[in-house]
Amino acid sequence: MPMDLKSLDRRTFLSLPVLSVVLPAVAASMTPKAEAASALPTPAADNGPIDFKRNVPAPGSFPERWICGSPSCMDNHDPPIQVNWYNEHTVFMRQNKAYSFEAPFMHLYFGNERILMIDQGYTQLRTDWPLRDVVDSCIAEWCAKHGRKVEDMELLLAFTHLHDDHYVGINQFYDRPNTRSMGQTHEEMVGFWGMTNYPEERVVLDLGGRNILVMGNPGHVFSEFAYYDTYTQILHTGDMFYRGRCYISFWDKWFASLQRLMKFLEEYPVTHVVGCHVEISRTGQDYPYGITYQPDEAPMHMPVEDLKHAYEVAKTITKPGIYFTGAVFLCNETRDITTIDKIAYAYD
Amino acid sequence: MAPIHADDVTSYQNAQAAAASPCQAPAPAPKDYGNGNPDAPYNPPGARNTDSCLKLNPTGEVVHNYATNGPAPGDLVFRWIHGSVCAAKNTDPRIQVVAYNEDTYVLRENPCVNWEAPFTYLLLGNRGALLIDTGATPEADFYPLRVTVDQILARWCRVRRKSSVPLRVVLTSGEDVAQNQGIGQFADRAQTHVTPLEFSARMEFHGLGSNWRQGLGRIDLGDRVVEVIPTPGTHKDGLSFYDSYTCHLFTGDLLYPGRVQIANDRDYVASLERLQQWKQSHPVKWVMGGHVEMMFIPGRAYPRFSTNRPFEHVLQLEAVAIDEALEHARGAVGTPGVVFRTDFILLNRVSPDEKVYQSAPNLPFVPVPYWISLQ
Repeated sequence: MPMDLKSLDRRTFLSLPVLSVVLPAVAASMTPKAEAASALPTPAADNGPIDFKRNVPAPGSFPERWICGSPSCMDNHDPPIQVNWYNEHTVFMRQNKAYSFEAPFMHLYFGNERILMIDQGYTQLRTDWPLRDVVDSCIAEWCAKHGRKVEDMELLLAFTHLHDDHYVGINQFYDRPNTRSMGQTHEEMVGFWGMTNYPEERVVLDLGGRNILVMGNPGHVFSEFAYYDTYTQILHTGDMFYRGRCYISFWDKWFASLQRLMKFLEEYPVTHVVGCHVEISRTGQDYPYGITYQPDEAPMHMPVEDLKHAYEVAKTITKPGIYFTGAVFLCNETRDITTIDKIAYAYD
Repeated sequence: MAPIHADDVTSYQNAQAAAASPCQAPAPAPKDYGNGNPDAPYNPPGARNTDSCLKLNPTGEVVHNYATNGPAPGDLVFRWIHGSVCAAKNTDPRIQVVAYNEDTYVLRENPCVNWEAPFTYLLLGNRGALLIDTGATPEADFYPLRVTVDQILARWCRVRRKSSVPLRVVLTSGEDVAQNQGIGQFADRAQTHVTPLEFSARMEFHGLGSNWRQGLGRIDLGDRVVEVIPTPGTHKDGLSFYDSYTCHLFTGDLLYPGRVQIANDRDYVASLERLQQWKQSHPVKWVMGGHVEMMFIPGRAYPRFSTNRPFEHVLQLEAVAIDEALEHARGAVGTPGVVFRTDFILLNRVSPDEKVYQSAPNLPFVPVPYWISLQ
């Protein structure tokens, strides 16, 4: 691929793949800042490259309870974003339900050269919801701990799919240096990962010693990605499969994605399956769409068995409708129906 | 100390007229009011029903004249608080109080305290106060209904030179958790009659016996009578209240600018028929419901749980909405479905979120930006 860095416009820039495994020459030329920085004196002596390939899966922990709203939104005193350091190189964040009822989860994966952020939450303004500040402080904390300079670390902004509860907060990063977004069209997104055969293709993103596997995962929407972190061995299935109502817009595409995930499970070990929301209680009760208080929420992470069992259930589904697998609701092509609620006061 | 009548001459005539027809009274005779003549041509209509006609420095209890020609003056000119993009950062009052007139108050719960954002009405008469509905939040810290009502009553008592006024707390439905949650705040209040929630006790409280559906309750606040009309349909124990002073019909969940969830369609039609008859024998200025859920767009409503509704429909519906709702409810009997109208939506035996982002093809199409309808 011939490339002249001087003639890069935004579109070409965005469409450049960052896959150092696939195209090392390209990826290297993409990070001139990092190379320049390596010439500078290194801050701390004992901070060589982190080895993300040994002792996997890296252990980590989720919080006992995620923040889950409050009876009165304006009396919510939880942080706007709950930050969970799963381990010292992985962060899971959740938006407070009193800031957005969708309460999406966002991920940060740190590598030796880059940081991957998956999803940017549902609130646009930094003054309303300080996502940028929280992410910046996480990065600063990590850099301080591991002897890196913040300006050397490239931040990649990716999302699972183009729904506004997953990317609206991206505006807060528009002026952040050394930051790139995967773009907001299907072509840009696929191009960003260097995919030529979406959704069949599985590609590798190298964060600097830490590989993230990116794969097409359509079904909830057409343009959707699943991510697998080889360090923690966590599989992120986005809104295609999560603890709640999986709104399946295209059954065939969704089922094919599920089959791809089953094949993936045969090849790779998976510690947890994680999604973007939680909409269900520990007892399997459905929290209706839009509610801002989920006091008895189920954990966000799911065992692999839940995914496998969903596949067994999915194999029997032939018609549109809502199916409960025991862990998640599969809302097969239900279109505008966002609930399984009935009218509460009906009488004869 | 004997009460001072604001206009002694006309009070008897007005009382007679009020007995015959609640909202029609002859114009009062000219009189020296001490604080200006309410019949002077520069006054707006209905000025004699305002405290601007009180004597300066009255020495005793003021008896207000509730006899009016037609509906008592009053207006809702403020925009309702409607939540904010980030509910956690909302800085609006927890309860918005709007004085419709000096004896009628409309209270709204902040949508960021509870998304139902119910309306609560406080009506005052010479010998009593009436609170219709109590909101969706029990905790006084989040939703200080009792404190707010106490403050309004204290201020009103000062103006009217009263030491106190007894309060009666009633509900449009005993089972509706969007309207009955604040009732506990009044449990230990002095001089207060609180309606029981249980069905038969509640009907008994309103003087409605075994034949309650055909009955008519009466609450006398002192020269201001509020009538209690049984209107099941959205709740099996639904009641509506008619205020003969403002000529408002307080309907709760039965009819309001929002997604009306019919719980029993035959009862719903029967109740609307009763209100239609009522409308023919009594002037109805506005139908005042318990919520606003419609957008200011024909046939579109904000979804459930929404804490930010920047473009809301107004609270009040014209009386003709009763006819419109009745016509379409009759057509919907026995058929599960959604009926979209310009100012309200009827849901019969479907999920509360049925067609939540839609409108009817026969209504003008106004595109709603996705983020306005959702966030």
